[in-house]
Amino acid sequence: MLIIAINYQNNMSFALTFLLATLFVVGVLHTYANLSGLTIRALRASPAFPGQQSEFSVQLERGHQRDHYSLHLKWPDSSDAWVNLTDQDMVQVHLHLPVGQRGWYSPGRLLLESTYPLGLLRCWTWIDLDLCAMVYPQPLACPELPGLATDQPDGAAIPIAGSDDFYGFRDYREGDSLRQIHWKGLARGQGVQTKQYGAYADRCVWLDWEMFAGMGTERRLSHLCYWALQFESRDEEYGLRLPGLVLEPGIGERHRDRVLQALALYGLEGRPR
Amino acid sequence: MKPDQQIPRNALVWIVISLFTLVAPHAGRIPLWVIGVYVFAAFWRIMVYQGRWSFPGRWVKAGLIISSFVGIYLSYGSLIGLEPTVALLLTAFALKLLELARRQDGYVLLFLGYFICITEFLFSQDLPIVVYSLLNVTVITTGLVALHRPGENQFNRKTIRLATVMLLQALPLMVVLFFLFPRIGPLWTVPIKSHTAKTGVSDFMKPGDISRLGKSDDVAFRAEFSGDIPLAADLYWRGLVFSVQEEGAWRSLRYYNIPATERRPRPVDTSGEPLAYQVIMEPTQQNWLYSLRYARPVSPGVMTGPDYVLFSPTELEDERLYTVESWPDAELEPELSEWRREIELRLPEGENPETVALARRLRSESESDAAFVDAVLGRFTRESFAYSLNPPLLPDLNPVDAFMFQTRNGFCEHYAAAFVVTMRAAGVPARVVAGYQGGEVNPVNRTVIVHQFDAHAWAEVWLAGRGWVRVDPTAAVSPDRVEWGLERALAAEGSFLSDSPLSLIHYRGVAWVNTLRLQYDALTYRWQGWVNGFNRDKQFQLLNDVFGGISARKFMLVLIGSWALILAPVAFSLLRRRERRATSPADRHYLAFCDKLSRVGVARETGETPEQYGARAARNMRPLAGQIEQITRLYSALAYRPLAVAEGRQNTLERELGRCVRDFRPGRR
Repeated sequence: MLIIAINYQNNMSFALTFLLATLFVVGVLHTYANLSGLTIRALRASPAFPGQQSEFSVQLERGHQRDHYSLHLKWPDSSDAWVNLTDQDMVQVHLHLPVGQRGWYSPGRLLLESTYPLGLLRCWTWIDLDLCAMVYPQPLACPELPGLATDQPDGAAIPIAGSDDFYGFRDYREGDSLRQIHWKGLARGQGVQTKQYGAYADRCVWLDWEMFAGMGTERRLSHLCYWALQFESRDEEYGLRLPGLVLEPGIGERHRDRVLQALALYGLEGRPR
Repeated sequence: MKPDQQIPRNALVWIVISLFTLVAPHAGRIPLWVIGVYVFAAFWRIMVYQGRWSFPGRWVKAGLIISSFVGIYLSYGSLIGLEPTVALLLTAFALKLLELARRQDGYVLLFLGYFICITEFLFSQDLPIVVYSLLNVTVITTGLVALHRPGENQFNRKTIRLATVMLLQALPLMVVLFFLFPRIGPLWTVPIKSHTAKTGVSDFMKPGDISRLGKSDDVAFRAEFSGDIPLAADLYWRGLVFSVQEEGAWRSLRYYNIPATERRPRPVDTSGEPLAYQVIMEPTQQNWLYSLRYARPVSPGVMTGPDYVLFSPTELEDERLYTVESWPDAELEPELSEWRREIELRLPEGENPETVALARRLRSESESDAAFVDAVLGRFTRESFAYSLNPPLLPDLNPVDAFMFQTRNGFCEHYAAAFVVTMRAAGVPARVVAGYQGGEVNPVNRTVIVHQFDAHAWAEVWLAGRGWVRVDPTAAVSPDRVEWGLERALAAEGSFLSDSPLSLIHYRGVAWVNTLRLQYDALTYRWQGWVNGFNRDKQFQLLNDVFGGISARKFMLVLIGSWALILAPVAFSLLRRRERRATSPADRHYLAFCDKLSRVGVARETGETPEQYGARAARNMRPLAGQIEQITRLYSALAYRPLAVAEGRQNTLERELGRCVRDFRPGRR
């Protein structure tokens, strides 16, 4: 257009060309204003299993009486959302994105951008929200729950090493701990006997960290996770025993979430920043 | 399709509106079928919007494009030149509507729209067109804004308001840039308006040519004198000098027919005070410039011909402003060269024998050439010659004889031609001069408005010792024409502007219409002079006057400084945080308290009650816990237990809350 104006020496063409150029300049301010005064709050992020999509909810609130249009929200890997803030002062936005490894998943910085009102330029900002999604362990099937018969009658005791309820004696075998030898009996001349400890298998089941002895941490958690989901779907009560944490047997969504959360966060230091 | 790619209904409506408002001013210039294409494309696109039709397929589109090329070629006989190019652009603009599916297409269409706005200026930069184009730009900008309001399907006044506000904010910036932006010469030659009719006096004159102009009320030019305006009877605006008569027409000498020694005008003795004036001519597509004799151009780019007329080396495609100085009493060519005398005496052999005989008889009866001139003029006055805009046609053979002895009814060109033939037949060098005579003085701004109906032809005779002398035979027949203008001269005939009954000139008697017309004319003149006539020299002069010299540094400083001044209030109004509107004084005090707390890092969470917030804040800042609790208690009482607050106590409590909040000064932790 400038070339037309110059070649025809046409003053009104100059004027119109400059008007459009300055409209662009004014547009910079208006585009910026479209993002200004907005407050973004992190609401929640739904927990998910690895590879699944987690729903991240944020809330946009305007600080001015101005209408905001065409606000584009997105995390680098997430779904897109376009919102207008016209009639109401705040709006909730839900974005979905796939989560990664077990633990806290931080989606990185949130992109908020807009090309409104002219579409000629883009104003954007990266927002670091304190919003993390919890990622559960990957459920990993294993055919049997080792050392556990779920169909035992009430009150039947099963010997589980490492438990603290005494339930009987047996003859000493090589390898038994010296602390478990029944020294008093030996003194009475009853021979060398070993005290046995065990737990009572209730209608409920204990998912125990030690059940999968010999496996890696993640693998153990994955198996525990799988079984927790199994029992939940079978409507059977189950408890969880992790080193340093015991969840009493229970059932229901809340219980499941507590169990999964414990599994998800096992061995991890607090929320990442 | 992603939501940011969709075209909101509002945007579609605005785009279709802009389509038609953009093509409207071109309507008289383009073939009618192009308008048909607009209607067709808009209809199709609306059908697509309603889901009844689908977008055209690739082959249909190709067919449409090819047929519009062919159509333009058939309509104009060419694809090159300004008009066919613009018509092609306009057609493409309409057809692009059939491709408007995504936001990107919307951009293309709207930016093309801005471009089409500019093409209108290549044809006219008149004030109404400029105002109209501004409206067009507003419509296009509104379309652009609407394109970015996803999901908006109802008419929203705010859309057009935002576009208008943005344009108004851009306008002062544009003005600064307009005056500061360095004007450079054309980068390359561009297609010119090839099909525009030439207007005004043409370079040859047949009987009837000037009377045709006499029927038009268009403005030919406006002149502004720096001193007093001469009498209307002295305003003979010379444009062309016709020295050659051939094939029944008068024409000027061709440049290549003039010997090299005669090409430069003879110097003229210019003593005394000149008349200084500025002329703004409407575009004529011709080279002639009009001036009072003897004129010396002051503006650059204006040439003087050997017969002392001014001309421009390029055709006048736009309004042209030039400044002239004139010495009306200066002698022109007191010495006549042999070649010039021979040219100015030449007559076709054997034509108009009766006139020739009459001329010789009158000359022999007169003492001098001057007396002979008076004798011929006296004959026009005495005999029953009539002045008419619609004279009877003259025969091709001996037309001057027929005029002088039979019809005796003609317009100025008939009298001028007959007079010059008579002069030449008697051996007095004479020639026809064409231009305008008189003009309307606009009392608003003291300009002389010269209309096309002021077109006139008169004669110049060369008298020994006096040089070229102006003689107007029309004045001998109809003195009113020269003193009062054409309208008075034709009052009896009633033919003045009879073909254009709506012309505002007819309503000169109605005071307010005439005032409006003259006001508007003054505005037009000002507009033409200031904005259209703004060129490199004017710019240089202006910048020199205002800033005292021009340098790149100064240029940037002025540009940035003025822009910052203009943009600062815009930015302020856009970006300032508006106070959240508190409904009651209690709310206002409490919000101030919340602000103070949030400044030290204890912001109120969504959904947190004042009690919870107060408790949390108190935990965070032990030393201020007492104050925080008091404020919270007061506010809770005012906000949530209004009934428990006794009448009249409310104000006291509010004041107390205000005081507490004022005294509350949480330091940075």
